[in-house]
Amino acid sequence: MRMDHYTLLQKIGIYLGIGLFLMFVLLPFLEMFRTSLSPMSHLFHAPYEIWNSEMSFQAYRDMWDKVPLLGRYIWNSIYIASMVTALSMIIITPAAYAYARLEFPLKALSLGAFLSINMFAGAVLLIPLYRLLNSLHLLNTYWAMIIPGIAFLIPTGIWLLKGYLEKIPRELEEAAYIDGASRVYTLRRVVLPLAVPGLIVVGTSVFIGAYAQQYLFAITFNQVKELQPLPAGLNQFIGYQSVEWNQMMAAALTGVLPVMAVFFFLQKYLVAGLTAGAVKE
Amino acid sequence: MAPLQLQTVTKSFGAAQVLIGIDLAIHDKEFVVFVGPSGCGKSTLLRIIAGLDEATSGQIIIDGTDVSRLAPVDRGISMVFQSYALYPHLSVYENIAFPLRVQRLPEAEVKAKVARAADILQLTDKLPLKPGQLSGGQRQRVAIGRSIVRNPKVFLFDEPLSNLDAALRGDMRVELSGLHRDLSATMIYVTHDQVEAMTMAHRIVVLNAGHVEQFGTPMELYHHPATRFVATFIGQPNMNLVPATVLGTDAGGLAVELDGGPRLVLPVEPGAARSGDRVEVGIRPEHATLGDGIAMKVRVLERLGGVAITYGIMSSGQRFCAALHGDAAVAEGDTISVGVNPADCHVFGASGAVLRRLKAPVLAA
Ligand SMILES: Nc1ncnc2c1ncn2[C@@H]1O[C@H](COP(=O)(O)OP(=O)(O)O)[C@@H](O)[C@H]1O
Ligand SMILES: [Mg+2]
Repeated sequence: MRMDHYTLLQKIGIYLGIGLFLMFVLLPFLEMFRTSLSPMSHLFHAPYEIWNSEMSFQAYRDMWDKVPLLGRYIWNSIYIASMVTALSMIIITPAAYAYARLEFPLKALSLGAFLSINMFAGAVLLIPLYRLLNSLHLLNTYWAMIIPGIAFLIPTGIWLLKGYLEKIPRELEEAAYIDGASRVYTLRRVVLPLAVPGLIVVGTSVFIGAYAQQYLFAITFNQVKELQPLPAGLNQFIGYQSVEWNQMMAAALTGVLPVMAVFFFLQKYLVAGLTAGAVKE
Repeated sequence: MAPLQLQTVTKSFGAAQVLIGIDLAIHDKEFVVFVGPSGCGKSTLLRIIAGLDEATSGQIIIDGTDVSRLAPVDRGISMVFQSYALYPHLSVYENIAFPLRVQRLPEAEVKAKVARAADILQLTDKLPLKPGQLSGGQRQRVAIGRSIVRNPKVFLFDEPLSNLDAALRGDMRVELSGLHRDLSATMIYVTHDQVEAMTMAHRIVVLNAGHVEQFGTPMELYHHPATRFVATFIGQPNMNLVPATVLGTDAGGLAVELDGGPRLVLPVEPGAARSGDRVEVGIRPEHATLGDGIAMKVRVLERLGGVAITYGIMSSGQRFCAALHGDAAVAEGDTISVGVNPADCHVFGASGAVLRRLKAPVLAA
């Protein structure tokens, strides 16, 4: 069915709405970029100027000297988020499959409990988590930032992937079962290949979640400079006298760049995955 | 020996009893069709035979072994699903090879078996394609190909043609019958379409509300329907059921008076029928001819060429359908009279059970 049966007025309304929404989402990034290009002397200039002649990429060069471990921080961010994603997916995938296909005691109750976990802000659990990690001797290691990350992201991941797996026709699995395939074989040869777009969607959302929540875990559970992820490392641009805003913004943007690049290539799957099952093929 | 026997198989989903004591014995190399209205439990019964669902009680015996607790693959069956259930990410070759991959057969053997199946089903040039690139009929054949590579003792089909358009369905009916002959295997075929049942089956199981109404050859069901349900389910257009009152019994059979129609002496075993009992007289549309007998006003006339399907209404308000000769001189709005040969009539008692016909055509054994 074609969906472009909008009148001109409706179209204008839709684009205005989208424009407004995008403005809210994108303006902070534009401002970050503008800040990263401006020399410090111009940052607090009044009146506000969108563009000035002294704008340059100087901050992108200086930031590496100001914070020598910057590269390391960016790497740590990606490493921690990737580890969280990989380990979460290893747990989420079979769990989501079990919730989608098997009957077991307390199924509905545990699913509900997963949702309610999301209602606790991570901050509420910081002290218990601290004590737990302390007694496991994991404080000040990568694990201190990876394990809590996994714990907080698994429930949503299971919900997301479960919804996706439920849309794979049950008859495909029954056909495999008729032909003698075990559940694990069927999962590997039939279900997972068909779930790839869903796995990418869930993996991406876990990765984003892992990236976003690093800061809290890093500043609470880790004191080792070399292990800090980028959001915590950015603190070092805050000096005693002044804050190097332009370098900080440049570093933040640089850190996000590799992640953005990956998402750009996955975009096709993301859209396909988010709308999967919405239409019959 | 019957390769497949069902012994008092029942199935309940919670409080709902879906199958009520099914007993069947299916012969070797037989093509048996389960037919019945939607929701009567056909798929459930097939899934129990396959091992996808477990019977609430009863046994499934294949080749003398009780397989009720065995996994599908150990039962010697294979199944073709209504939706084909092809793996969209695998090529036609890998779809057909799937059961063999599960068995971890050597590549050479897989290749030979897939090639043979593809040859039988005329899929050889489609092997590298994905299922999405095939037509409905070709997908259906791939699904069948996947089911034949394992050489099962019993093939199970669940409404395999219901996703195809009418013309293709006719072709596939012929192909499936041919396949059955070539493979000389036992096949159980589920459908709600009585035409498929009549054309393909050696024997038909008519299911209704979870029990077997009748199990017999197509012509047995046509000439000797055991119940009112079977009588109206088999045959196109449906059999007319005209209410009647028993006048008495004599040597010739049962004397009845049709409501709003003539008196007839029908050659059936009267059994327990007594004068004054209410019965239903079953008359197939194709057995009615223009002539003295039942008067009706023609409401709708469908001329199909060879036959003219005439839908009328009797003075009692009873609808009556007659399949008259294609050129019959009738028109909508006419009042006509159709006659029937009493030997062609069926009589059903109040319970829906048939009174045995005495002069029905002799069936070849
Ligand atoms: N898993 C199930 N849970 C509950 N009821 C079911 C289930 N499967 C089938 N039924 C019920 O059993 C009856 C028979 O279903 P089915 O065997 O699919 O019918 P058919 O194939 O003859 O159309 C239907 O009333 C259906 O609602
Ligand atoms: Mg069905």
